[in-house]
Amino acid sequence: MTAVDTDQPPVATPTSWTARVRERISRIVPPGQALPDRQPAYMSSWIYVFGVLTLAALIVVVASGVVLALGGVTWWHVSSLGHFVNSLHLWSVELFFAFMVVHLWGKFWMAAWRGNRALTWMTGVVAFLGSIGTAFTGYLSQANFASQWISTQAKDGLNSVGVGAFFNVMNPAQMLLWHVVLLPLVLGVIVVLHVILVRRHGIVPPIDADEETAS
Amino acid sequence: MTTSTEHRRAPRAGRPSTPDSHGFATRPYDLVKEFVVALVVVTLLTVGLAAAFSSPDEKAITMRDWANAAPNDVVATAAGELAGTTTSAGFGPPYNTAADGAALGPLKLQKWAGVTIPLDSAQDLVLIPLAGVTDNSALTDALAAWQSAGADQRTQWASDYSDALAQAPDGNPDSVATGDYGPVPVIAAGFLTLANTGGLEGALTSSGNFYGGDQTKSLLLLADGAYLEDQARARNLGGDQWGMMNETGNYPGQPWMWLYTFWYQVPPFSTSENADALVWGLMMLLTLGLALVPFIPGLRSIPRWIPVHRIIWRDYYRDHPRR
Amino acid sequence: MRPMILLADGAGRYVSSGVIQISVTNLVIIAAMILVFVLALVLPFPGRHHQDSSDRDS
Repeated sequence: MTAVDTDQPPVATPTSWTARVRERISRIVPPGQALPDRQPAYMSSWIYVFGVLTLAALIVVVASGVVLALGGVTWWHVSSLGHFVNSLHLWSVELFFAFMVVHLWGKFWMAAWRGNRALTWMTGVVAFLGSIGTAFTGYLSQANFASQWISTQAKDGLNSVGVGAFFNVMNPAQMLLWHVVLLPLVLGVIVVLHVILVRRHGIVPPIDADEETAS
Repeated sequence: MTTSTEHRRAPRAGRPSTPDSHGFATRPYDLVKEFVVALVVVTLLTVGLAAAFSSPDEKAITMRDWANAAPNDVVATAAGELAGTTTSAGFGPPYNTAADGAALGPLKLQKWAGVTIPLDSAQDLVLIPLAGVTDNSALTDALAAWQSAGADQRTQWASDYSDALAQAPDGNPDSVATGDYGPVPVIAAGFLTLANTGGLEGALTSSGNFYGGDQTKSLLLLADGAYLEDQARARNLGGDQWGMMNETGNYPGQPWMWLYTFWYQVPPFSTSENADALVWGLMMLLTLGLALVPFIPGLRSIPRWIPVHRIIWRDYYRDHPRR
Repeated sequence: MRPMILLADGAGRYVSSGVIQISVTNLVIIAAMILVFVLALVLPFPGRHHQDSSDRDS
């Protein structure tokens, strides 16, 4: 039972934009749930590590990409260190997609969209698509035979639906900027939203589980 | 105090509502440590794979490479550009209005997007680069003859020469049957010479600008020939070879593209002129389906019908048997 | 840095059956993913025995 202090005036709804934003932010994730140090006991399976593995792989992808960006587009063709960094970028991307798909498989079989988690599922799918698009612009930026073939093939598909009119895959100067600036930014925002939603709703309980009554 | 972010609904008939995850027994777990371990594991895996297998880097085909490896193809392509019969010349939007392009049922998306990358194949890919050649008087005369001829005459010369090349053994210009091809043979030969000097990409990309960066013209020209595709098909990169999934050599490709490229392998897509638009439309539909799984009856129930989850949560189900 | 296992080989190795055609490398990757998925489902996850008695976090 709480003691009521009758001398305090009622708290008015804040009119300050700053206060309102602060209130909204603090309500995005339940208190203590952003980085809890406990988790539901039903999370006892290795399938649960694939989300964080995907995130970790994404970080390695970005880090290796940053090093490639330091040297520029032609660097890795002439430097053996640069070529090694390119290899890091390629293999971290393969791992990223592998972990992400295993994560998707797990979430499907757990029907993880239950309990108001549809948006978590959907942001995950959008992140998957965004990743494919980002990888695609990366392949176009290689400045080698693969880029030549991929661009001249992809233009047919994209032109058939009018997209090629403003997204020119044969223009490396445009594709490179989509790959290192535009798409990573968009993908980053989607991934952040996805993770926030996970923390907001908590990890989905087992199918047909009943909420345990308080002891 | 509840940490629930859920709006409680009355259970639907036959489907219990999902309880709040914060109402279950918990145990300690170190998320940050888990993340750091994951990062270390992925980094080690990446370094190991990169050191063991490296990454592909097949050199781009230069115009000079093309001219050396397949000179007859270069000549045939130049003639085709002048005749307006190449892929780029007849493409339609966004390069020209030679065709309407693909349609998705009533949706003429390619046409509606308009000509935003205007290109005159004959002029931009062949004649303008050649106009810069100064030490070949025969070529200069041929170009003048071409420019002063009427459109129908040009098309006649170029088409006849294209056909003659196709008939010649190995497409060799030296073995072409005699005929009236006007200045086209000299122009096409001059084009091959320009490609051999290594100056063609520059002429196409910079075209009086200084800074290049946009390789559209060079790529369209290269793709108008047969050599690029021949090289790609030899590496299993062709559209009907599941090419979208593949990489040169034995390097890992893009396994996640399997479903997109699958449709191109089977009818009706494999035999359709409109395959690109059809496959795009189908994949957009399937992707929408994937995103909306939570709302699609039947699809969203598959995890119940095929209970893989009973393995995942076996510990929980063992400790909490169904009443 | 010279790779220990050379993957550069022009055409590469492929296996095919009917309409299906896939590179050996891609096949290995997909098979490994399925294996990893199955192992993730069946391998016991440590920590069950360190569970505290029922606790609430609210």
